[in-house]
Amino acid sequence: MKIHGSHALPAGAARAYNLLQDPEVLASCMPGCEKLVKVADGTYEMKMKMVLAAVSGQFDGKVRITDPDPPHSFKLVVEGTGRIGFMKGEGLLRITPGGEQCTVQYDGDVHVGGTIAAVGQRLIDSTSKLMIKRFFDKLCERAAAASAP
Amino acid sequence: MIAQNFDYLTPVSLAEAFDLLNDPGAKVMAGGMSLIPMMKLRLAAPERVVDLRHVPGLNKIQQDGAMLRIGAMTTHHELESTPLVRAACPLLAQAAAAIGDVQVRNVGTIGGSIAHADPSADYPAALQALEAEIRIAHRGGERTVLAKDFFQDTFTTALEPNELIVEISVPLEAKCTGASYQKMLQPASGFAIVGIAARVSMDGGKVSMVRVGVTGLGGSSYRAANVEALLVGSEGSAADIGKAAAVVAEGIDANSDIHASAEYRAHLARVYTARALSAAIARAEAQ
Amino acid sequence: MATTITKLDTLVGRKIKRKEDPRLITGTATYVDDIQMPGMYHACIVRSPHAAAHIRGIETKAALELPGVVAVYTGADVKDVGPVPCGASLPGLRVPHHHILAQDRVYYVGHPVAVVVARDRYIARDAVDLIEVDFDPTDAVADPEKALAEGAPAVHPQWPDNIAFNYHQENGEVDKVFAEAEVVVKQRITSQRLIPCSMETRGVVADYRSGEKALTIYSSSQIPHLMRSLVAGMLGIPENKLRVVAPEVGGGFGCKLNVYAEEALMGFIAIRTGKPVKWIESRREHMQATIHGRGHVDYYEIAARRDGVITGIKLKLIQDLGSYHQLLTPVIPTLSVLMMPGLYRCKTVRADIVGVFTNCVPTDAYRGAGRPEATHGIERMVDILAAELKMDPVEIRLKNFIHSDEFPYATGTGLMYDSGDYTKPLKTALEMANYNELRAEQTKARAAGRYMGIGLSTYGEICAIGPSPATPAGGWESATVRVEPSGTVTVLTGIKPQGQGEETTFSQIAADELGVGFDDVVVMHGDTSVVQYGIGTFGSRATAIGGTAMYLAIQELKTKIKRFGAMLLDSDDVSYANGRCTCNKSGKSVSLAEIAGAAHRAMKLPANTEPGLVASNFWEPPNFTFPFGAHIVVTEIDKDTGAIEIRRYIAVDDCGKVINPLIVAGQVQGGVVQGLGQALYEHGIYDDSGQLLTGEFMDYAIPKASMSPNIEMASTETPTPVNPLRVKGVGEAATIGCSPAVVNSVVDALSPLGVRHLDMPLTSEKIWKVLQGGRA
Repeated sequence: MKIHGSHALPAGAARAYNLLQDPEVLASCMPGCEKLVKVADGTYEMKMKMVLAAVSGQFDGKVRITDPDPPHSFKLVVEGTGRIGFMKGEGLLRITPGGEQCTVQYDGDVHVGGTIAAVGQRLIDSTSKLMIKRFFDKLCERAAAASAP
Repeated sequence: MIAQNFDYLTPVSLAEAFDLLNDPGAKVMAGGMSLIPMMKLRLAAPERVVDLRHVPGLNKIQQDGAMLRIGAMTTHHELESTPLVRAACPLLAQAAAAIGDVQVRNVGTIGGSIAHADPSADYPAALQALEAEIRIAHRGGERTVLAKDFFQDTFTTALEPNELIVEISVPLEAKCTGASYQKMLQPASGFAIVGIAARVSMDGGKVSMVRVGVTGLGGSSYRAANVEALLVGSEGSAADIGKAAAVVAEGIDANSDIHASAEYRAHLARVYTARALSAAIARAEAQ
Repeated sequence: MATTITKLDTLVGRKIKRKEDPRLITGTATYVDDIQMPGMYHACIVRSPHAAAHIRGIETKAALELPGVVAVYTGADVKDVGPVPCGASLPGLRVPHHHILAQDRVYYVGHPVAVVVARDRYIARDAVDLIEVDFDPTDAVADPEKALAEGAPAVHPQWPDNIAFNYHQENGEVDKVFAEAEVVVKQRITSQRLIPCSMETRGVVADYRSGEKALTIYSSSQIPHLMRSLVAGMLGIPENKLRVVAPEVGGGFGCKLNVYAEEALMGFIAIRTGKPVKWIESRREHMQATIHGRGHVDYYEIAARRDGVITGIKLKLIQDLGSYHQLLTPVIPTLSVLMMPGLYRCKTVRADIVGVFTNCVPTDAYRGAGRPEATHGIERMVDILAAELKMDPVEIRLKNFIHSDEFPYATGTGLMYDSGDYTKPLKTALEMANYNELRAEQTKARAAGRYMGIGLSTYGEICAIGPSPATPAGGWESATVRVEPSGTVTVLTGIKPQGQGEETTFSQIAADELGVGFDDVVVMHGDTSVVQYGIGTFGSRATAIGGTAMYLAIQELKTKIKRFGAMLLDSDDVSYANGRCTCNKSGKSVSLAEIAGAAHRAMKLPANTEPGLVASNFWEPPNFTFPFGAHIVVTEIDKDTGAIEIRRYIAVDDCGKVINPLIVAGQVQGGVVQGLGQALYEHGIYDDSGQLLTGEFMDYAIPKASMSPNIEMASTETPTPVNPLRVKGVGEAATIGCSPAVVNSVVDALSPLGVRHLDMPLTSEKIWKVLQGGRA
């Protein structure tokens, strides 16, 4: 499944880029992320618990940041495996500066497998959009909070 | 297709239900038409299922002044078949009749359905168009939330943990008002690919009130205020309807899946908005 | 003095309610899951979530520690069990070794990897979640054309081209005919993967008696005897120590014409643990791990004269086989080739099949098995040719039909069509539809900007499969008919109904032949320790072949009945009718019950006659039968949404002599609805990584009653000379006739837009895109 979209962040490009590389920030913004541990440069191990409606599932996974081009763009690879299925997402994040603000554009591909792929086709699109939205909403809060005097 | 072990609890009062729901491993169940399949697929694995069916007073349908009050545990079948609902709020009866199949309608409830907030469920469109009030109880209190504030996103509502929907209130349909719910159903599941609920009042040959609720198109149901603004005050001609319906999907990030692309969904939303508005106006004028 | 024997009303040909139905509709039938045994274990299978992966390890400790878990078996435990059998023997066929549990790799989503045995099914299911399989996913390929492309991932590493077989068949001067053709039309036509969705999923109970060294397997199967032979081989036990029982079977549609890993696996567990064990397939497993049907990409070319006479047919058929061969996987597309000329006289044909491995569950027989694909192809191509030549689709068919005086007719594909009168059902259907008026209405509708379509298909099919030389495991059928001492009649048939109603039709035939009451006949089937060896129910064969075996056994039995009658009546001139043996001279008679009593009491025996009243017959048919028919579908397209409305559905089927019109009607209705499923809704979709996206009824759309049109039905009867009952078969006919009629109708509706072909399923969105000016 292709995903793409853009979100505005109340932060300059350089700071937005750094926020997006900060494991603590990522962990606090990724919906359900319980743990994000750096295991190598640009590679993190992740534990997350997805809770949506009655669905809940634990995922163990990896987050990798590749092709860094600060403060313009980087590639984000997220992989997760759990009892209810597995997913792999790969996307290019591009940051367009706009003074105090910036816009984060993402363009990528998500592959979903296992039970969620077999029985949840109807809901994968709207659910992933919701997750991305929650991520950026939280990220905005973080960016705003950090920039507050 | 076997769920994980769970305790099955049947409180006999709201107070007892709230006690049981304090447990973070508990999940409330109304009709169970969404929860049980998810448990059988092991997408959901609550430790305790708190079944509300023995809580008294949650399935009443009664007229209260200009409002129709519907208990949260009222089944879809009761809503589609009760003469009071069919006469006083035909839109809700139509939406109920459009849900799933007979077996689902016999067991599924309006409170359960809206608490679940499936982005393609039928009720939300009707409740948006009806500006329904959703009465929510928690231990020691209650609050009322409007449909437009209740449905927030995919499977996401204003409901807090430890809160329960107890009642849904909709206005009795006024004179010279017509309503229609129109959906294209997804042939596998029967869920709406898009569903449009329209209510229109006519006064002196002009549209004096119009409400449009949309389901299935985006992450959540919504009221299409832009459509309403274009139509109100017009004569409600085919051209007026077409112009208004054309904007229903504007600004909505439409869903896309193996059953319908975003582009097709947006198109269907426009077509079904026009159809629902036409039918509603025809009904309003027939009165 | 000769007595006139008045013939009572016969049952054959009458609408008689099915004797099976009361138990089915009151929930009192016995299916596999109804079998309970003391101390029975329950099995649950761990399946691969990946389409292609290496298995690096399997951790079973946590599962084994769960109280109630008895055992966990993995590939290593069962590596010596024989492979899941493939019954096909095409030249050069590559057959991957199909272990009953994956060894070091998995090849499709749903591939069984391990099995948990526990004291109840709930514990077994919980334990499945405790098993950790360390998969190392590799690239997969799920589309047969992509699998053929250079550099595609190899499904089986030993065969990097993913080709399981090539098959070629040719008749006549194909190149010359095409070179000289006045017109040639070409089209790529797909027949998408379908999931059988029998109402009862599969299920197995295995019970081993160690003292007797005897294994019993209860399985929801269409072929209990073949299963006995094959599973005995897999488990290495003598065939006569294995009993297979197929109890009530809740639908099969071909998906239970198979031997799966699970039958041998349950047998293995029962032997290993010494306890009975049950496995019931969940719906999700059914979608993932039971065979799928269809899976064709066909490239057709038709050569013709300008007057519409078809002179040549070419077909390149790409068959998506999936990852393994199940029992008949590679055979199915060859049936398409046999049927590719349809009802038409053209004998110049060339077919090339490429059987392709993909990382999907295997395809195999599904209602029609190869013939729907072929019929869909030829019936679409004939319409495409008609459009090219601006001819009416009726006219072009009439021009190419084999004439009724040309039978038996040898086709270019090596078949001998038994009998036919193809214009008869077509004319009946046209009259029912009021075809000329419909066309006039269509002209008006078009002028008004509406999209109304009239589509027809004139289909033929291969039934009564089949003569033994044409089948992998014998194409005959068996019957034993007994008159019990009380005079009631027991029929033991080698067929295995799954809803077709042969307990009723066979009772009708037997009751007529023996002059007993309908309720005095009991038809038994499905238990290899009760019934003599038989072949089973598939390929619309049960009545034509199994019914004939019974009929012939009854004829032999009647000879013996008459011998006892003659003895009791002390006459050498007797006749038998209406359940009585009558002396033609004196008019005195004895009843069948009296004769049966005498035959079993055996106080006195006729000369050279054994006691008892029983006869058996194993009947080898001399040919297939070839039913046919005409379906007409009237559609109207909602031009705003692309939704298709079936305004009328007319089905005229000729299945030879009709035994029970009610059952024929039921088969036609069910067949049409299943055909509509393929035409409009159903599609087993795998994504590029081999994930099955339609893994539940939430996403896989089978037609519901509310989505089914009223079907206007009629029958014509053209008897077959192949069997004495003159019946042809009807189990698959309507499914075969349906999909091309629907697609032809929709293409006809959209033809003003220049539409020539659309692939199934015809979803509303696909049609809408066409209406938008794009091509689906």
